[in-house]
Amino acid sequence: MAEPAQADIKGWLAGLARTSQRWINATVVAGTLAGLATIVQMVLLAWLVYQGVIAGEPVSALTPWFLVLVGMLVVRAVCQGLQTRFAARCSEQVRRHARRQLNDHWQAAGPVALSEASAASLAREWLDHVEALHGYFARFLPQMILATVIPLMILALVFWLDWLAGIFLLLSAPLIPLFMALVGMGAEKVNQQHFETISRLSGQFLDKVRGLTTLQLFGQTAQASDTLYQRSDQYRRITMKTLKVAFLSSAVLEFFSSVAIAVIAIYIGFGLLGYITFGPSDQLTLFSGLLILLLAPEFFQPLRTLSQHYHDRAAALGAGAEILARLQEPVSGAGNVQAQTKPTATADTIALSGVSLRYSDSPPVFDQLNMQVKRGEVIALTGPSGGGKSSLLHLLAGFIRPDAGTISVFGQSAGSSPFGWLGQKGFWIQGSWADNLRLTSPDASDIAIENALRRVGLAELLDSREQGINSRIGEDAQGLSGGQARRLSLARIFLADHELVLLDEPTAGLDATSEICVLEALHKLSEAGKTVIFSTHHQALLALANRVLIVSGAEVRNA
Amino acid sequence: MRELRPWLQLILRRRGRLVAGGALLLATLISGIALLALSGWFLTETALVGLLFAAGVQAYINLYVPGSGIRFFAVSRTVSRYLERLYNHNTVLSLLTDIRVALFNRLAQAGKRQRGDKTGAQWLSRLTADVDALDTLYLRLIAPTALAALVTLMIVGLAWLLFSGTIALILLGILATAFGLATWGLYVRTRALSGQLNERQEQLRGQVIEHLEGFAELTAAGRTGKHSGRLMRHAFALSQSQAEVDARVGWHLSVTVLLVNLSAVIALWAGFGLFQQDLVSGPVLVLLPIALLGLGEVYGMLPEAFGKFGATLAAARRLNEDVQPADEQPGFQKRPAGQGAKQSALTASDLAVGHPGQSSVITHFSVAVEPGDRLGVVGVSGSGKSSLADTFAGLIDPVAGSLESLPCTYLTQTTVVFDDTVKANLLLGNPEATDGELWHVLELVELAERFSREVAGLDTWLGNGGSRLSGGEARRLVLARVLLSKAPLVILDEPFTGVDADTRGRIAPRIDQWLDGRAVISLGHGPEALLPSGHILHLN
Repeated sequence: MAEPAQADIKGWLAGLARTSQRWINATVVAGTLAGLATIVQMVLLAWLVYQGVIAGEPVSALTPWFLVLVGMLVVRAVCQGLQTRFAARCSEQVRRHARRQLNDHWQAAGPVALSEASAASLAREWLDHVEALHGYFARFLPQMILATVIPLMILALVFWLDWLAGIFLLLSAPLIPLFMALVGMGAEKVNQQHFETISRLSGQFLDKVRGLTTLQLFGQTAQASDTLYQRSDQYRRITMKTLKVAFLSSAVLEFFSSVAIAVIAIYIGFGLLGYITFGPSDQLTLFSGLLILLLAPEFFQPLRTLSQHYHDRAAALGAGAEILARLQEPVSGAGNVQAQTKPTATADTIALSGVSLRYSDSPPVFDQLNMQVKRGEVIALTGPSGGGKSSLLHLLAGFIRPDAGTISVFGQSAGSSPFGWLGQKGFWIQGSWADNLRLTSPDASDIAIENALRRVGLAELLDSREQGINSRIGEDAQGLSGGQARRLSLARIFLADHELVLLDEPTAGLDATSEICVLEALHKLSEAGKTVIFSTHHQALLALANRVLIVSGAEVRNA
Repeated sequence: MRELRPWLQLILRRRGRLVAGGALLLATLISGIALLALSGWFLTETALVGLLFAAGVQAYINLYVPGSGIRFFAVSRTVSRYLERLYNHNTVLSLLTDIRVALFNRLAQAGKRQRGDKTGAQWLSRLTADVDALDTLYLRLIAPTALAALVTLMIVGLAWLLFSGTIALILLGILATAFGLATWGLYVRTRALSGQLNERQEQLRGQVIEHLEGFAELTAAGRTGKHSGRLMRHAFALSQSQAEVDARVGWHLSVTVLLVNLSAVIALWAGFGLFQQDLVSGPVLVLLPIALLGLGEVYGMLPEAFGKFGATLAAARRLNEDVQPADEQPGFQKRPAGQGAKQSALTASDLAVGHPGQSSVITHFSVAVEPGDRLGVVGVSGSGKSSLADTFAGLIDPVAGSLESLPCTYLTQTTVVFDDTVKANLLLGNPEATDGELWHVLELVELAERFSREVAGLDTWLGNGGSRLSGGEARRLVLARVLLSKAPLVILDEPFTGVDADTRGRIAPRIDQWLDGRAVISLGHGPEALLPSGHILHLN
């Protein structure tokens, strides 16, 4: 997979943000209101101190204002609570959206393209990578806006109170964007380093755990433990060297905010004493002075919060890169307009006309292929490996689309109505036998399920279980052998009763019992009048077919 | 809570570091609070003195002490924050190492049987997640909790000194409530949900993998839409549970902050009463509420950590189960060799083989292998071949019957290459082997040329899981490792997986010659997959 450009990833994240813009806006509004409530709280606090200490108002006269202050605290708490609630809702929607995009891509790519990636890594994208988007949308994105809006509100108020103090504040955070970039660079470095170290450490640990049996066999576990310790310690020392520098950026933010508070406190103090003879300081009172002091830490707080959430951004960009790389993978045959035109052949045949197929730069798999199969025929496809047997089955299944030509399956385009498919690997899910069969035939009765299982020779296994078809497949912790799994897949085909059944090497690598079962099952299917097409080298299977076709050298011919 | 004990013991081994890191955290926090509180005190003092000046009254004010105090705290806050981050990061990385090494050692003590089927990729990914969850124990959980409690007591003590015992008690009541809500209260309210999240996610992962493995069949049956819809619903339900945890954390956080602010407001209100009775001065009256506001910072760190506490405990519980000590014997052990004058390499009589708790895959199996013998065992996958090999090698105990053997070396069916150098990978087979011997066995499996082309030679790094080798090369490398061992009995399970027929044809006789005089049991899916064998058994 090609790594998508940084701009594309940001664009994709922005697109996701648009899908739940409503919740992001609500989060920002709640956050801004909480910020406003905080400002009002500080105003009231400073005013009350002024009234009590300087103006000498009695407590009883101030009590109503104390109640207003408590009310403001409640407003602030409610807004903060709502902010997290909305943020969680936003991330919920975004994750659902991203998962749907991946699902749609899987659907469009089809089983063949999908099988090129391991199921585990696809599942990781769908689960963990999407999960990694959470912090970005729930925390970082709203905080980006809040870290601009709230400091600006405070700055405006401070300027109104005392423009010189405002300038101190402004000077300490020269320009908010510049500051954010500074914080960002530092935080990004720290996070990158931290995650790299952890993943290396985990890698070393997992490597040893994975090979533990081997280490035990050679009696080398103690040495491995030493190596693990030394490697980890080495990583730690290297990481610490980088962090010494990287942490400086957050120290700079800390320094500016501390110095700003100190400078403001001393300036206001001297101003109140009347020692400062220039500027607006003769207008200062304990109210305005204390308020500026109380607001100063709140001015820096949103920036500090943002720097704490910076790793969310890095995580989202990393995860986004992998998800987007998957989404950008081309979908086969998407450009073939001809293949999408309505097939015209009759409802009783499967017809391929003028079908061409090639994979990237290799020689064509098929070139202008024409072929017809009548309803009820049993067709065996044979030929050298790599000759195109599987490709032909995939075309008939609609898993891949031809570069040119049309395929009509009983008057419809390939894959548009259900059919039976048996791949080289059987497939079963954790659950009962019945669950497994109802996966493809949800309405099947218990009796029908039992019959289908009996027809593929799984009766013996079934009878040995107390709960019959309702017993769990993996209950002996062994699961199914390859042959049993393939017979289970065959049982699904029997149960679903499809007109067309496609099988890719149905007997390859099977034990003798399973092989016989599959042969008998195929025979039963053909007797039932189904159209059966399979690829094989197996002599007994070839004998079962009405017609044997040799697929080789970009063409298909009768044997 | 008991599940945390082994991990806490591990963390507490670095008690000195933890205390020093905690002290730095405390210094940072107190500097911040003191900077603001002292500034507030200073402003009020100057305002009052300024009024006297304006009224033409002679008054004295010491500007030097508070001024330098403010400057000192401004600097100490910055410096202690920087040192604290650096020092505690170092601690966290050390703990990270400690936890992994300890976990590895405990896993190593348990035999293959105790680990059971816990070797799959899914188990490993879960293990990683669980270990990661424990990494945050100190910095996110222990340190802030201890710190919040300590600073609270300090400020309450300050209130006692400056204001009165009653006010101090009221403040203690409010702050204790805030503390309880941010820690225990939140833990109780999120424990069930948070503890299940990981398990639910792993279940969902299993379902997604099933969906993908069955994608062709589901597509054929026209069921992908329905099936993926089900996955989407499960994923959404999971997101909703996470959102629920997040929201509860958010509410607890905002109520905690509310209570901390409320304590400041009450301190101010009660202080006015004392101020008007001339029991406290104006500057002192302002100092305490501002100090209380400063508590918000440390209290704010608690809910996030305690919302995840349920998950942390669940992770610890799972890890404890993973490393449960072996019940009877201390894990993996070599079986005692048989007695008697004429020593067989391996004697099995009436052996039953299988995994404990499951029906035996092989029963009534008897065989005797003499030194120099070549025994082949052929069976399709699922015939119990690998279980038999595991039993021969002593990885699992026989279900029934008796087995005696000489010390053996065993090539397992899975190819295990470590993320290390060629040399380190080979030396596992025989730590005393010289470089010459290493090159010799590499020659034997036709890998010598491959690595002599590399600049680093034997020090060539093989990458994660041997990713820089092809399947066949990796197999031959682990084969070479086994050949280095001097054990009199050699067990090879599918020795040539992924090795092409030509190469196999060339190296098999050479290996046979190299192992001359030693007993070899090779197992495979067909006779061609074995070492040339004098006697071949077929498993049904």
